[in-house]
Amino acid sequence: MMEMEQSASRIFAIKTTSKQERTVADNIKKAIDTGASDVKVTAVIVPDELKGYVLVETHESLPRIEQLVEKVAHARSVIKGETALSEVGHFLVPKPVVSGISEGTIVELIAGPFKGEKAVVKRIDAGKEEITVELYESVLPIPITVRGDNVRVVDKGDLS
Amino acid sequence: MAATKKLVKVCRDCHRVVDGESCVICGTMNLSTDWAGYLVIIDPERSEVAKKMNIKLPGRYALKVR
Repeated sequence: MMEMEQSASRIFAIKTTSKQERTVADNIKKAIDTGASDVKVTAVIVPDELKGYVLVETHESLPRIEQLVEKVAHARSVIKGETALSEVGHFLVPKPVVSGISEGTIVELIAGPFKGEKAVVKRIDAGKEEITVELYESVLPIPITVRGDNVRVVDKGDLS
Repeated sequence: MAATKKLVKVCRDCHRVVDGESCVICGTMNLSTDWAGYLVIIDPERSEVAKKMNIKLPGRYALKVR
């Protein structure tokens, strides 16, 4: 029974100060490496999609993780409730940023000189994760190539 | 601490976060500053995350490297 409990790895979410997710992960590692905390954590995941939280993989219980959080700067609290790797596994295999974008999709540029402009996708380069768009409101159709993560999908639909 | 401030480099082959100019594990100079997602492996033997990612050494890794 004890053996079972030891082998099951749990995942907890820790709330962090905003934009300090990576610092928290480093601080957790530091706290464990230097022996400041004897809580055993096996891995810390900081997914790009999950802002304001880090996921810790551990064999310990929730109160122990709360103990750890008190020692770590920029870590604020532990979310009550645990999850398993199967539920967060998709964070580990990042999907290509151009997935969900097809030719004819209307996107909004979210970075670069054309930030805020809407555009229609003309071509997709899945390998380089780049897309070529034409600005919606521009008189001349000038193709612009931007990085796949610099756009936000506004309207998936009609290819007409 | 400095990890977030300056441009941190990541090995394109093993995804390991590198401090110097070459990867200490692969010895390659093939580094990238354009990466996303962060993973700290502390105990690779007991970590299921490390097993899933095929990581045998503890350290800091990037989840996605461009």
